[in-house]
Amino acid sequence: MFDEGVVVFFIIVPLLYPLLYAYLYNNESVREVPTVVVDNSHSQLSREFVRRVDATGDVNVISHCQDMEEAKKMIHHRDAYCLIYIPEDFAKDVAEHRQTVVELYSDMSGILYYKAVLSSCTEVSLEMNKEIKAALIPGATEQQISAFQYPIEYQYVPMFNTQSGFATFLIPAVLMMIIQQTMVLGVGMMAGEEREKVRKHIAEPHIIGKNPSEVLIGKSTVIFTIYVIVAVYLVCIVPLLFGLIHIWRWQTLLAFMVPFIAACVFFSISLSSIAHDRESFIIMFVFLSIPLLFASGISWPSSNIPIFWKGFSWLFPSTFGVNGYVRITEMGATLADVQHELNALWIQTFAYGAISYLVYKRTYGKQLWA
Amino acid sequence: MKGLNQIIAIAKREEKRMLSRGLYTFCMVLAPIMAFLFFTTLMDEGLPAELPAGVVDEDNTSTTREVIRNLDAFQQTNIIEHYPDFASARKAMQQGKIYAFYYIPEGTTQLAVSGKQPVVSFYTAASYLIPGSLAYRDMKMMSEYASGAVGRATLYAKGYTEDQAMAVLQPIKMEMHAVNNPSLNYSIYLSNTILPGIIMLLIMQVAIYSIYVEMKEETAKEWLAMADNDIVKALIGKLLPQVVTWSLMGLFCLFLLYGAWRFPLNSGIWPMVLDMFLLINASLALGVFFCGLVPSLRWALSLATLWGVLSFPISGFSFPHLAFPATLKALAWLFPLRHYFLIYVDQALNGLPLYYSWLNIAIMLAFWGLPIMLLGRLRKFLLEYHYMH
Repeated sequence: MFDEGVVVFFIIVPLLYPLLYAYLYNNESVREVPTVVVDNSHSQLSREFVRRVDATGDVNVISHCQDMEEAKKMIHHRDAYCLIYIPEDFAKDVAEHRQTVVELYSDMSGILYYKAVLSSCTEVSLEMNKEIKAALIPGATEQQISAFQYPIEYQYVPMFNTQSGFATFLIPAVLMMIIQQTMVLGVGMMAGEEREKVRKHIAEPHIIGKNPSEVLIGKSTVIFTIYVIVAVYLVCIVPLLFGLIHIWRWQTLLAFMVPFIAACVFFSISLSSIAHDRESFIIMFVFLSIPLLFASGISWPSSNIPIFWKGFSWLFPSTFGVNGYVRITEMGATLADVQHELNALWIQTFAYGAISYLVYKRTYGKQLWA
Repeated sequence: MKGLNQIIAIAKREEKRMLSRGLYTFCMVLAPIMAFLFFTTLMDEGLPAELPAGVVDEDNTSTTREVIRNLDAFQQTNIIEHYPDFASARKAMQQGKIYAFYYIPEGTTQLAVSGKQPVVSFYTAASYLIPGSLAYRDMKMMSEYASGAVGRATLYAKGYTEDQAMAVLQPIKMEMHAVNNPSLNYSIYLSNTILPGIIMLLIMQVAIYSIYVEMKEETAKEWLAMADNDIVKALIGKLLPQVVTWSLMGLFCLFLLYGAWRFPLNSGIWPMVLDMFLLINASLALGVFFCGLVPSLRWALSLATLWGVLSFPISGFSFPHLAFPATLKALAWLFPLRHYFLIYVDQALNGLPLYYSWLNIAIMLAFWGLPIMLLGRLRKFLLEYHYMH
């Protein structure tokens, strides 16, 4: 039943791809973004500001430039990605109780640069503002100054992915995509190969004269079993290996993964009915991985996916698999919390199961070979 | 002259083969168009608006209700439900109903009025990075605004002018400029590289298929014979119709990005046309290279698939190259999509003179060096090897 090409998709890709991704996103976020400073104030206060920004983990001040032209040139040569511009009147304005504006520029080839410079500088400015005000109100306690600055204080809590890390965000979705896509490709290749051999009279259909439901049960059980092992590695071991968040209860995960894998198995078998030959199937389905990852709503939010594409995304087990798995493993969702996804996966299992049966009945029962 | 005629004859033969198989039409026309429309219509809004969010207002005074109304008015957030307590809001988040919620504890108004500095908090589902950070931005702005409103009112009461009040409340202010993408449009940020990336992936796969399907169908000898067994002429003839088709698809992609959706094009269109042609050529070169590496349709396709899919993260358009481990930073040079992305950044996004991109342009051209080393091998494979079932 197995050939080397299928082994690649069933074993090698699931084994290696997550390692590659985890290695790539190992740093979780971009740290020490190279930044240039144009300090026209040349004051003690401006130097203090720059020193504190440099001390944050996100920004690394690599150079002080004479003017904007020089700074821009450094960004254009990709020596730096952000620019902090401090106006001439910076210290004077503060001393004379006028609001002063520090301008931040970010190269938009990556949104993480923008985030890094904005959050570091905002953080430093809040801190310095507090100190400036302390000087404004002599004799005030820290508490009074703080209450003056923030009559209502606020705090922000990023839940579940507390570092807002990139690996934590993307890898769980990629893991679920790997399960579905490698299975579709492997099963499609096998079906295409068999069809081709029969067409060329190299081989007889190996199940000629057999009951299509028996064939379906036999085949799906084998694929299911292989993927249970693959899934244990992907959804349990990989997160442990790379210290990704994993707060699942194993019972919940098991009850969710069973219908997901089952839906993928029958989805793959149904799709394999259009595999004309072994290789064309790969070309037709690999590129879909990228749109499907986005259709799941892990990146662009599902609340904002146009209804047409949403309907399209519901055809694929990955859409429900990604959302259910992310919420179970990272957000500690219970089975009841992912009821919607769970129902959808069971519906897919039965619907694609029925389609698979019809496909087998038609092709094997009547020996119709395209 | 004879050589040219041979090439034309092979190209015509290839054209016939392409038109007679649905696979080519699907992979070279339908699939890319579907993918282009998918990404551009998916992120048509630019920034996702009206993200579902919740509120826990345990204080429930006219002041807190006002704060919540203001929050709802922000563009990115849509308050869909009020929850009685923290636990039920958290539950709604776990159920995927909301991306964020705002929590106002009992007594907030009372404490604020008496200057005792109450604390409100907001929570985001950071596993969903984009909606999480957008909801964060709105809620932070709202909190600053609410706090500032109270502070300003106090100062106005003391006779401060608006400018004076701002100078006291926020002596140093940050002003952020997102150069060339001021609205932080996600489609600009993603589609500009994903669409060409999908073309790149399909180009490699189709090129490999078209070459080794000749081995599979045992027509390779016939094909090479048309070029007097000269692999260079045989390949040029075969790839010519593909180059033409892909160029048209590439131009259509550029038209969608810069014509229909009006994404930043600060360089004018020609540098991007060049970038697209370079990508098409480098992808074809890699396709031929994989054929020369392994004498098997399935293995060459598998290699192209792995390389193609890995191109997306390694090109660094979403998670920046800057944060990669050193080995992968170096490896990224071997991916045409990485160079396409860098040329795009210099040209369309930042509008720099073309010479800034010379290194990436040179490397894209140099991709043809890879298959040229293996042409002799490829010829041998095609003439002497057979397809293995």
